Amino acid sequence: MRSVSESADLFRHVSADKSEFYRRIMDVFAAAKRQYRLQLRPDEVLAEAEWSGAPPRIEEVNVALTQLTVWGNLESHPDTARVSSLSDFYRARFLYRLSQGGEAVEAALTLFVQTLQRRAELQTVALEDIANRLRALQTLAGEREPDVAKVHETLRDLVRVFEGLAENAQAFMAGVARSIELQQAESSAVSTYKRQLIDYLERFIGDLVRRSDTIAGHILALDPRIDVLLQQVAAREARDAAPGNETDRVEAQTSHWNAWRERWKGLHGWFFRSGHEPSQAELLRARARSAIPQLLGAIAALNERRSGRSDRSADFRILANWFVACQNDGEAHRLARAAFALNPARHFALNMDADADLPASTRWADAPPLKIHPRLREYGEATPRGPMARIRDRAEARARLARELAEEFLQVEAARRRLATGHSIRLSDLGELDGHAFGLFLGLLGEALTEQTHPEAAVSRQTGDGLLHIDLTPLAAETRAEISTPHGIFSGRDHLITITPTQDLR
Amino acid sequence: MSSAEDTRGSSNIGQEQRKHQREEFRTAVRALLMTPLMTPAHDEFPSVRRQADVLRAWFSREAGWPLHIEQEGARLYKRPAELSATTRGLPDYDRRRYVLLCLACAALERSESQITLRLLGERLLQLAAEPVLTSLGFAFTLGTQHERRELVAVCRTLLEIGVLQRVVGDEEAFVQTRGEQADALYDVQRRTLAGLLAAVRGPSTWRPEDAPETLEERLSALVDEHVADSDEGRRTALRHQLARRLLDDPVIYVETLDAEARAYFVNQRGAMSARLCEASALTAEHRAEGLALVDETCLLTDVAMPAEGTDAHATLLVAEYLAGALKRPDALDAGANPHRIEFSEHEIIAFLRDAKIRYGRYWRKSAREAGAERELADIAIERLEKLQLVVRGSEGIRPLPAIARFGLGEAEIRDPPDARRASIAEGIGPA
Repeated sequence: MRSVSESADLFRHVSADKSEFYRRIMDVFAAAKRQYRLQLRPDEVLAEAEWSGAPPRIEEVNVALTQLTVWGNLESHPDTARVSSLSDFYRARFLYRLSQGGEAVEAALTLFVQTLQRRAELQTVALEDIANRLRALQTLAGEREPDVAKVHETLRDLVRVFEGLAENAQAFMAGVARSIELQQAESSAVSTYKRQLIDYLERFIGDLVRRSDTIAGHILALDPRIDVLLQQVAAREARDAAPGNETDRVEAQTSHWNAWRERWKGLHGWFFRSGHEPSQAELLRARARSAIPQLLGAIAALNERRSGRSDRSADFRILANWFVACQNDGEAHRLARAAFALNPARHFALNMDADADLPASTRWADAPPLKIHPRLREYGEATPRGPMARIRDRAEARARLARELAEEFLQVEAARRRLATGHSIRLSDLGELDGHAFGLFLGLLGEALTEQTHPEAAVSRQTGDGLLHIDLTPLAAETRAEISTPHGIFSGRDHLITITPTQDLR
Repeated sequence: MSSAEDTRGSSNIGQEQRKHQREEFRTAVRALLMTPLMTPAHDEFPSVRRQADVLRAWFSREAGWPLHIEQEGARLYKRPAELSATTRGLPDYDRRRYVLLCLACAALERSESQITLRLLGERLLQLAAEPVLTSLGFAFTLGTQHERRELVAVCRTLLEIGVLQRVVGDEEAFVQTRGEQADALYDVQRRTLAGLLAAVRGPSTWRPEDAPETLEERLSALVDEHVADSDEGRRTALRHQLARRLLDDPVIYVETLDAEARAYFVNQRGAMSARLCEASALTAEHRAEGLALVDETCLLTDVAMPAEGTDAHATLLVAEYLAGALKRPDALDAGANPHRIEFSEHEIIAFLRDAKIRYGRYWRKSAREAGAERELADIAIERLEKLQLVVRGSEGIRPLPAIARFGLGEAEIRDPPDARRASIAEGIGPA
């Protein structure tokens, strides 16, 4: 067997200078292999290959064939057929066929192309098939003497369907993540694809939900008996393997059995969660569900991209060409205005008193000119330059205000101390009050009297600012109190008044 | 409260609401005229969204401009009526940078929802290597700092428009070094990107044999719209063309219009400008030579005139100088056709050299250096050209009629308020 580095030669024709040429030749051999023809002559190759242009000369084909033989893709044998001319006889003549390595390379390349071209898809049929096979398996397992051949066939089928599903699911997940197909797609293709994909995902998710349970049920039911079945199948397979002694047979049987158990475990893991990992089916469902918003996102991006009737990117590229073709900047500006229309409006400014009564036939030269501020006319500045106005220092005024405030506070405090004694006193005994004290007294009286429902009722309330508590009890109707103040004499029915600072009540 | 008061109150509220609606509509119209491709980050985007239906109807009726408003942004397809203006491209762009912008957009169209500056550069290189581009002499390699700066400039444009949004990173670092860290990551705003191209028909939709070959063909391929083949359809198309120019351009001179458009314009300019001004809070300036919609706020423009700063001041002085020549009595006398007057660039440079002596001390330092008047003259002429106040021809610079509005008027002397009050008090009013 060739080592990896040796087999690398087999791939050289793909990356060689004339790879196109080599590939066409190899295609002929691959086709011949499909038609069970074992070997080809150079002239046959020349005739059968699909050359892109004019067919090459036979000498070129010969050189290429020799090169491919050197790389190991082809094997050559001397051609022993009869010839009818001298030149043919003297020329080295060979028959060519695919070598084993060449065959492998062809198969690999085919697979490679298929894989690249495969569209991500989800199979709904597969789920149905899996469910059917499992049901069949269950029936078989239920029989007293299971038919091993049938079991084997069913299991093989199951594995095949399942592998297809898993492969497709993988491709789908990867495809959705990349959303390559949408990136370069045409808009019509996208809208078709969108409809198909959404229909498809809907169907698949529905199916997955519906069938997962059934499948899981089947698997659960089979679980206790499956080991026996797998063992029998493994034994049957081992019989097919090349003959050998007893130990070889047991070994082969074990390895087959292990392979089957692994497959079963995989199937199990698809539909049941193992540990904390969600099952593959759940993952797939989540991914399929997330494919729809991703698809919508991709479509939105496409729509934005072509939110004109044309492909904007192409528009801009063409426009770039047009700009390059402009003779000068002036032409470029004209083109830019037509293409972008981003220019702001442009108007003359400043005409305080438009001469509305001027006849429209007046020439500009005869109309009174614009009135321009003399400063603007003379200096080019509308506002005078010069030092900023000095900031006035208001500290003194502020200090005076503070002093006045402090003094007033003291007077109010004095008045409060004078009145808010906490002792009952008749109004007639209050005597003379100064301005501040009288102001406070009137305020308190006002608050208290608004509370009074009836001239005879006693009042007790807290003042609005919450600092004082006032009790007011009217005395006999004929009593009379007089309080002299700087503003005059206050008089009225006499009351018994108690003013208490709120803090003293507590 | 009486019922009479009730109704008055509610009608006031109704009036207030209508007024508010009208003002919001105007704000939105003006914002879209300035930012035709608007992202939700724009200050006025909420107004645009609220007024969406009215705006869509108005722009389509008046100018035939499609307006798309979605949650992700707004796009007013301001297709130009007039294709010869060479001053209305992207600011600071040249031919090469436009090519890079297109290639960057082509790459972004194909990219994922996020991209880095480095990756964008690589994709751009692939696109820049296309044979059509290279055969026309275009080469871009990203090898030098200069080329990286070009890429970054394009990126900054895309950031500004809102096609890209920076997630992390720094473009300047990319310009300076080629290390792994010198990179930036962006989100691609696909909606905004999709709105970037305003072409009526995508350039790639032409079959190779029908594809437009010359610049003129390409321009019309980008903007030509279907016009209904009827008198009504042609009139509407004509009206839209004029409205587009009035809304977008500083001034329309009657002499630039062809016979059909001129007839329509002369008949309809009053009604038309009134409608446009009502919606955009502009003021119409009707003159014999044409019509300008002017803006009181100085905000509805990318090139303000007059404005502050040395360049603007020089422009204003040049405008006055040119206008003065138009207004000279002999110009008028000689002037069955005053447009004949032309100035050479040297005259303007000489004028600015003199002006520098008088005003130079107010100018920025670089403008005061010897020879700087040449550059200033260039800037001034370019600004005047952008505003359609002059035309640069083979013979020299020709002032256009509207420049006269920037001519120096008679000084107007007003009584100071105190003096006036005093004179009224004494009963000697300015009778």
